[in-house]
Amino acid sequence: MKKIMLDQMILTDCCPTNAGSKMLDGYTGLFNATVVEKLKEAGYEIAGKLPVGEFAIDLVGESCFAGADKASAAAKTLENDTVMAHIALDVNGAPRRVAAQNGLVFAKPTYGTVSRFGMIPVACSGECVGVMARNAADCREVLCTIVGKDEKDGTMHTDEVCKNAAAAAAPVKKVAVLKMPTDANDKIEATKAKMAANGIEICEIDAGVIASANAAWNMLMCAELCNNVSRYDGVKYGYRTKNYKNLDELYTNSRTEAFGLTLKTAILYGSDVLSTKNYMAKYDKAMRVRRVIVEAFAGIFADFDAVLLPAVSKMAYTEKDSAFEENAYTAPASVTGLPAVVTNGVQLIGPAFSDGALLALAEALEKEGK
Amino acid sequence: MEKDTLLLLEKVNQLSLSESERDTVLGFFEKRECDMEKLNAIDTENVERMVHVLPINTVVREDVAKKLFTRDDLQKGAPETMDGFWQVPRVVE
Repeated sequence: MKKIMLDQMILTDCCPTNAGSKMLDGYTGLFNATVVEKLKEAGYEIAGKLPVGEFAIDLVGESCFAGADKASAAAKTLENDTVMAHIALDVNGAPRRVAAQNGLVFAKPTYGTVSRFGMIPVACSGECVGVMARNAADCREVLCTIVGKDEKDGTMHTDEVCKNAAAAAAPVKKVAVLKMPTDANDKIEATKAKMAANGIEICEIDAGVIASANAAWNMLMCAELCNNVSRYDGVKYGYRTKNYKNLDELYTNSRTEAFGLTLKTAILYGSDVLSTKNYMAKYDKAMRVRRVIVEAFAGIFADFDAVLLPAVSKMAYTEKDSAFEENAYTAPASVTGLPAVVTNGVQLIGPAFSDGALLALAEALEKEGK
Repeated sequence: MEKDTLLLLEKVNQLSLSESERDTVLGFFEKRECDMEKLNAIDTENVERMVHVLPINTVVREDVAKKLFTRDDLQKGAPETMDGFWQVPRVVE
């Protein structure tokens, strides 16, 4: 039986789901996420859960309350070939960065093609359930299993559209390379050479407004996160402080003791973005810029089949690095809902529903060697 | 970002930061000013807001009640319960 690992953002009724946070330490969901049910029905074995950064908004899992040594646990697990794939919620690009820095493949599907029912919600307008594996073929097999309409998720396309997206295999003939600064430029150059060897036409273009995607996503993601984590108050479920004399102290001390600083910072920023004073200048502006970026991609895809861009700025992070800057590479796909595939340390973004075509391109590039 | 505004945000979000955490958060807000500059450089004068990235309409369904979970199920993860109720400190003195 093929084994699949899940990250700690995905609810299961058999084992705890903590979202990488002390707030949900020991919490077990009442039901399985739809992706879990689909995998089990298709005969896959759910082999266990892997740590995730607190609410999946950090770089590579370093903010997990269980310890920074848990960072990139997915990569370490996939070194072991008894596990076929890892299912992860891509909120702020962390699984894409892990895949890029560890020579793995990660497919972030087109928004609305994989059910988010049973995910711990963070930034609902952009987060997607994706698949990490050692190669594109395994990624495609698992993605084809988990896509499909789910009545329990109100933000989904029809079943036919979802399944066609994962199975799509129209050849990629023309690729635009987004000019973005990165220390991992050798990966981009190597991929361009492999594409040329496959007869793919390559053209470099300026990133233009797409370079502002992370500014918009930082605001939108934090605003949505701020609302989504307001439910954790130490009353209904999750962590409750022992240090309180009244209800206000119960709320405040439970949240203060349970949440890490990265999450608290994102909550406060999201709250500021949504405040009466800043709503129009920040949140409303970010939503309009989101449309400008979607239209910029549409313009690119009128001439090209896919976009090649870095997935990371460097191949290893230090404590000074922050996901809010590093997501310059991952935010374009997050903010637009477009599919993205990380392979050979680089990222491919395609038009909506071109997931299968991107994976087919990744498979072709794999054949050219690492 | 003024410190008073940060204190208000903490209160609204039921958080209480230490002074060193406040310095870190204020530094973060300062860095985010460059995000604002990036967004303001883009002309959105005649651009509509985009709430959903793809044309997904609000889904409606029949208003039929379904009992999915029992009270006991829902209280399994509760920090404290009593006689089937969630327990909180006294709210009326």
